[in-house]
Amino acid sequence: MDIAFSPDDQRFRGECREWLQHNVPKERRPLDAADALPFDKAWQRQLFEAGWAGINWPKAYGGRGLTIVQQVIWLEEYATAHAPWIGANFVGVNHGGPTLIVNASDAQKAFHLPRILRGEGIWCQGFSEPGAGSDLAGIKTRGRIEGDELVVNGTKIWTSFAHVADWQELVIRTGEGSRRHAGLSWVICDMRAPGITVRPIRKMSGQTEFAQVFYDDVRMPLAHVVGGLGNGWKVAMSTLGFERGTGFIADQVKATHEIDALIARARSRGLLRDSAIAGQLAQLRAEVAALRAMTYRNISEVLRTGQPGPEASVIRLFASELGQRLQRVAVVLLDEEVLDFSYGNDDAVAAYLRGFAATIAGGSSQIQRDIIGERLLGLPKSR
Amino acid sequence: MDLTPSPDQEALLAATVEWCRAAMPLEHARDRPQGLWRELDAMGWLGMTAPSMGLDHATEALVFAELGRHVAPVAMISTAVARRWTTSEDKVALCLISGRVARVFDAEGAQTALAWQEGAAVSLAWKGAAKASPGLDPSASLSRFDPAPETITLDDSRAGLHLQLLTAAFALGCADAATDMAVDYAKLREQFERPIGWFQALKHLCADMAVRCAVARSQLYYAACALDADEPDATFHIAAAKRLADQAALDNGRGNIQVHGGIGMTDEAYPHLCLKRAHLLSFIAPVANTALLGESA
Repeated sequence: MDIAFSPDDQRFRGECREWLQHNVPKERRPLDAADALPFDKAWQRQLFEAGWAGINWPKAYGGRGLTIVQQVIWLEEYATAHAPWIGANFVGVNHGGPTLIVNASDAQKAFHLPRILRGEGIWCQGFSEPGAGSDLAGIKTRGRIEGDELVVNGTKIWTSFAHVADWQELVIRTGEGSRRHAGLSWVICDMRAPGITVRPIRKMSGQTEFAQVFYDDVRMPLAHVVGGLGNGWKVAMSTLGFERGTGFIADQVKATHEIDALIARARSRGLLRDSAIAGQLAQLRAEVAALRAMTYRNISEVLRTGQPGPEASVIRLFASELGQRLQRVAVVLLDEEVLDFSYGNDDAVAAYLRGFAATIAGGSSQIQRDIIGERLLGLPKSR
Repeated sequence: MDLTPSPDQEALLAATVEWCRAAMPLEHARDRPQGLWRELDAMGWLGMTAPSMGLDHATEALVFAELGRHVAPVAMISTAVARRWTTSEDKVALCLISGRVARVFDAEGAQTALAWQEGAAVSLAWKGAAKASPGLDPSASLSRFDPAPETITLDDSRAGLHLQLLTAAFALGCADAATDMAVDYAKLREQFERPIGWFQALKHLCADMAVRCAVARSQLYYAACALDADEPDATFHIAAAKRLADQAALDNGRGNIQVHGGIGMTDEAYPHLCLKRAHLLSFIAPVANTALLGESA
């Protein structure tokens, strides 16, 4: 075991740092999805032109094809340079694109992948429904087959960037009378198709980033199904394997800066003399260090075995809850100034309010604990 | 960069587990056979940290976590540190100095002990046999010296870090043992006509125990590597590892007793051995907030 990076990797780190230093936008990314769209597209285009789009995508599909250690380095440097979140491009680059790479036809790949990398095709996800949250297999939105088309009716919710997206990775029920995981299909939905209504939803942080989407006899070609009719669950799950434990690197780097800034602020206000506050900050600093160690350990596991270890859900659970503890302490240090928050602010309070998503979206903490209990510890399945 | 055990380390770990299970099971922790220490010495468990063995701290951390999982004698920690940084080849007991009192653990057959004082490892000695009395941890005999014998600071400042690292490894093992015990029991014990581990309230309690172990283990490995690499921030990383391992051991010690219910509170069952050991270890090379708050302010 060792924690040293190879000379090649160190050279690569220098290359990343150099490019980011000269290219990270000076202005802040706007908060609302609609306001941020031109910013997100321009930044993605800039990344693409410099060869930094799709760092984990194979070169054959226009990606950079970085090794996993290089991905870690890029993501660390990216966060250290305060480069902006890729925002509206997130679903396409990190989720839709990888799903297409694994499952789509050559024609589908040839059309969509270059657009995603260039920031020209914006994607949103269409998995959750009002009645299918943690229990994703409870999907009710239906696609009726008519000739060479699907006619879709139903609704999706918590769809980030729905109101600015061009395409959606839509999982619907196509099997007549099918239940649970069977009879689902993963289909590329054109967000401009007639019959789609998008109702943006404002979050308690004031941002309008996600939406509910309604489908009223929306027609889409059967040729837009990815991975074959009825294979939707398998296709939707295939991207989980694409994410190699690098998902929390940016959070971890940000957390390192954040805890150091919090300690500095507490010290300058004389708050470290309060042993409760000092103890909390000391604890958080140890936990943030451990998060990095956990990430490195998981990456090492991928390098050794080709697969992230079963502890990936442990990292997810720990990282999301640690992030919330940090945000909470930041707000405690603000004291009564927290009351001055108003919608549109992009400050510690906004981060705290946004942060509630971390233990809900993409598998709640409770689901993660079920997974850890059942798959890692072998306790009996309760569902 | 690699934070997973190499095949060689895996093999050493497997051998450690096998030996511990056969010769030093947790179930016998408070009633270790007289000859155990001699056997530990003969098998090389005590001399493995000697400079001539060339073992790195990362490998030590792996092995000591496994020893800790079997609630091994705490003098293994102090003896290992002494073998690395002094010329002693004898048993060295583990000591806690607070004010004028020295509490020495596992003093049988030892004439010296190691303690942690202000970040450094110090050694102390006594004449004759130390008188042992029962203490909180039934798996570690306690001898009190009042006043404490005079202390001598070990020359190399890394000895203190080494003591903290190996204690953290023992604490992690203690947390692991509590998790294993709780999970095994949750699969076995039935109430409402099903194993209690079926219920989310208990499943999630066990999951949290596993998370604490994973967090502490990751930081321990990183800290050991940082010490091996002589990194300037090794002091911080080892302190973080110790803090997280202590917490995992204490919290999992509590969790394990809760999962066991009534039997968990008894003297005859094993859960209290983990909890009591966790309390003992938390006093050895403890972590001050300032060690973690560091230069960042």
